[in-house]
Amino acid sequence: MKIGDQVQNLGLRIIAIQAIAFILLGLLGARLYYLQIVKGDYYNDRAESQRVRFIPIPAPRGAILDRHGKLLVDSRPTYNVVLSNEPLKKINVSERVNDYASGLNLEPQFVVERLNLIKQQNEFETMVLKENVDMRDISWVESHSLEFPELRVELQPQRYYPLGTTLAHVLGYVGEISPTQLKDPVYQEKGFRPGDIIGKGGLEQYYDEYLRGRPGYRKVLVDSKGRVQSELEVVKPQSGQDMVTTIDLDVQLAAEKKLADSVTKRGTIIATDPNNGEVLAMASAPSFDPNVFVQSSSKPEGRKQIAAYWQDEKRPLYNRAIQGRYPPGSTWKIPESLAGLQQGAITVERSNLVCGGGITIGNKFTRCMGSHGSPPLSYAITKSCDGYYYRLALKMGIDGVIKMIEDFGFDKRSGIDIPNEKVPQTPKSWMPYVIKNEGKWSDIRTVYSGIGQDTVVVTPISMLRAVSAIGMRGKMYEPHFLKEFRPIAAIGQEGENNYFPARPGFGFQRAEPRILQATEAQWDVVVNGMWGVVQGGGTAGSIRIPDFDIAGKTGTAQVAELGKDVGDKKDHAWFVSFAPAYKPEIAVIALIENVGFGGSHAAPAAKGVYEAYRVARGQAAATPETVAKK
Amino acid sequence: MVAIIEKRDLKDFDWLTTLLAIVIASFGVWQIYNALPTDSVWTKQIFGIGLSLVAFFIVAFTDYRRLIDSAPIFYIIALVLLLLVLTPLGVQVNGQKAWLRLPIVGQFQPSEFAKIPTVLMLAKYYGSRKAGNLKMKEMLIGLAIFLGPVALILLEPDAGQAITYFPILAAMYFLSGIKVRYIVLAAVATAIMVPAAWFIGVETGKIKRYQQERILAITNPDQVDPRGYGYHTIQSTITVGKGGLAGIQGETETSQSVLKFLPEPQTDFIFAVTAENTGFIGCVSLLLAYALLLSGLISGAREASDRAGMLVIMGIVCGMAFQIFMNVGMALGILPVIGVPLPLMSAGLSALLSTFVAIGFVVSVKLRRFVN
Repeated sequence: MKIGDQVQNLGLRIIAIQAIAFILLGLLGARLYYLQIVKGDYYNDRAESQRVRFIPIPAPRGAILDRHGKLLVDSRPTYNVVLSNEPLKKINVSERVNDYASGLNLEPQFVVERLNLIKQQNEFETMVLKENVDMRDISWVESHSLEFPELRVELQPQRYYPLGTTLAHVLGYVGEISPTQLKDPVYQEKGFRPGDIIGKGGLEQYYDEYLRGRPGYRKVLVDSKGRVQSELEVVKPQSGQDMVTTIDLDVQLAAEKKLADSVTKRGTIIATDPNNGEVLAMASAPSFDPNVFVQSSSKPEGRKQIAAYWQDEKRPLYNRAIQGRYPPGSTWKIPESLAGLQQGAITVERSNLVCGGGITIGNKFTRCMGSHGSPPLSYAITKSCDGYYYRLALKMGIDGVIKMIEDFGFDKRSGIDIPNEKVPQTPKSWMPYVIKNEGKWSDIRTVYSGIGQDTVVVTPISMLRAVSAIGMRGKMYEPHFLKEFRPIAAIGQEGENNYFPARPGFGFQRAEPRILQATEAQWDVVVNGMWGVVQGGGTAGSIRIPDFDIAGKTGTAQVAELGKDVGDKKDHAWFVSFAPAYKPEIAVIALIENVGFGGSHAAPAAKGVYEAYRVARGQAAATPETVAKK
Repeated sequence: MVAIIEKRDLKDFDWLTTLLAIVIASFGVWQIYNALPTDSVWTKQIFGIGLSLVAFFIVAFTDYRRLIDSAPIFYIIALVLLLLVLTPLGVQVNGQKAWLRLPIVGQFQPSEFAKIPTVLMLAKYYGSRKAGNLKMKEMLIGLAIFLGPVALILLEPDAGQAITYFPILAAMYFLSGIKVRYIVLAAVATAIMVPAAWFIGVETGKIKRYQQERILAITNPDQVDPRGYGYHTIQSTITVGKGGLAGIQGETETSQSVLKFLPEPQTDFIFAVTAENTGFIGCVSLLLAYALLLSGLISGAREASDRAGMLVIMGIVCGMAFQIFMNVGMALGILPVIGVPLPLMSAGLSALLSTFVAIGFVVSVKLRRFVN
């Protein structure tokens, strides 16, 4: 070192600098070893998880068809505005609320709800902000793509109900899974996520599992801004199964027309095939449009319409056929007649009971609508003699009435394959309350129960099922809408994660009837009475159809308390029937709310359904009267 | 200024150091390509290396003593350029006015080039002093020379670049016989002052929120917002760790830089790109190459024929070693994010040119080790 003498320890000082440099480089090497060798796999996973995204591919839901293959429900392509989570993480979302609300015509409160929901999302990071958008919305999103990169327009199949209000109660509708359902372990097990579409009400809910497809997904590579760079994997969705229902659309439309033409426009008509329980038509009026729930639940006007449905006093959302409970009035006399014979209160040979124009219980006289002397059973049915049934109920005793309720299944749901069916209320269910409050079950209650009043309220479906069983001489089938689910082929390769196994087709599973025991003579005497109601100068004599013998029973159920002024609470009109009387192929029940006599309001409505049925089956020519508007 | 190249020059020329610098720079081009395969930055870098080599050879074959004699001129030119940056001629990028656009020359970063005149000026001053311990007056004069460019750089403001000047001054003091007790004193003062400055800075708001976040990202990486100011550190750490033992071996379409998770991959975070693409093996090789390069330069200091030459080399060595440590430490998540380029690797003509010129000086000093 030539210059070393000028500075003390110069050589050492240079070595010190070199040593420090090497130590620092060694430190970097140690840190590299830690990051790359020790934690390499961890960081590799982190890098992968931030660059890989799953974009769900919605699966089309199965269509719903009528028994002849006519389309009842379908899906059609729509455009949705979706929010993606990734760019949202970098911004203060509350600043966006007003932009979205004004740009897309949404309520700010709704936008806040959506933003809160999307925060709970992890793996799949998109959520629908607005469904079924129009060109205005699409162009707004496109023109603001720089400002709001988190918004995107996506094509998605949407449920569509081409018939609008027709059959709405039976079909139900679909909607996003609710927060309550998401917390339910039943739904959690099936892997539902926020934003999933599930059936709500009707067949859509009952058969959701089969109608619903299995969604696929695109596994994509994204950059730091969440923009898709390339596709890594595609798992194709599997469509849901198409459902063929037992509905006959022509009969359904005729039933709905009859309700629409009725005085109060409130009521229900059900038509079934008594030979197997297939429901041909189920109409409930007033009705609603399921498309409102599907298409506009995110729009202010749609929400308003939905709120109006809920608040409407006429209760359009309520399926009167299975949820309505009405006093059955004289229709009750049909199952009661058979029960009287079965239990030996009357016999085929000696079925006469006194009418007496009414009955006195204690010091109270309850009258019959006419004076029928001492009629036999058939005549009592045909003329709907109340006096006869007051006495029959007393002879059977309340225990006998309850046995009849149990035999005909009025203490249970019919088991029909749509949700929310109500159980009728009968003396069986009322007994404990009455005894608790009044100390005993009084005879007057038994008398009233003989004519389907007071402690008896039943669903139209339960009444139709009971009367159909009489037409079928004891075979009581479970009413149902399912004719067939069509099969769906497998998707993808077995053993790989894009594999969805084939879904087999199937029909209705509970096809065996319950059997009611009675002798042929006993069935005959009841059916003869019902035949007489229409054909033999009975209470529904006005609805005769040539060469098509209808066996039926009218009912006029009092709504106001017995003996009080009825006001606008006029009687409910009932008509329950099957035809042809001695070899039934169709059973029809009609109930019109608050219009008066069953014979003059409900029976003609049922007649319209029979005529439409005959036209549909080629048994009669179409007349202007029978062609329902489509 | 170009000296006549004699036969002896070629024999004594430090080919090894030169080759090492070219190899590292070429390796850097490959990494720039990996960072931005669809961009033309890497071709610009090749052009930059060519230009830098021309400058390198001119400086290397020039007698460094003549350059040191002219140091005041260079120093004044550097100060003028740094002042010009602050005028409307300066170009603002990311809130910093660190660039200057001049006719013909184009756009460049004077704070990169000002390092060399600063080293030369300090070397000239301390090289001519007499033997013995460093006196206080000498320290203050050195400090004044140092503060000229540093103050102007802090006005840009480019704190990261300014920090790289400190090791130059430290090297000058240390090698000019500063007493060991001062060094100990400085170390103790630093140990007290840094936390104190942090505390006071945070309390008074002098240390800005983003600066705090960048430091917290090092000390508590789990506490900071991964999408906020901690983002750079976290993404760089992920990128480095992902490289593993041997790197991603050509799977560039899913790389952190191609997908833009890693910010500034071709400049500040070129080391993370290297780590992702070549893994532990490539990174350690690169660090060894730097160690070898520094050793080669330091050996020149030992053999220098005069104090000024020795000081030039060690000033350059300390500045470069410090930059390497700062840049790599930042990429590895142990130092806060400050924009310091990795010598010879980061894309950018200014840094590349100034590094090659600096190495040219060292080679020039070595070349004349036998001349008196």
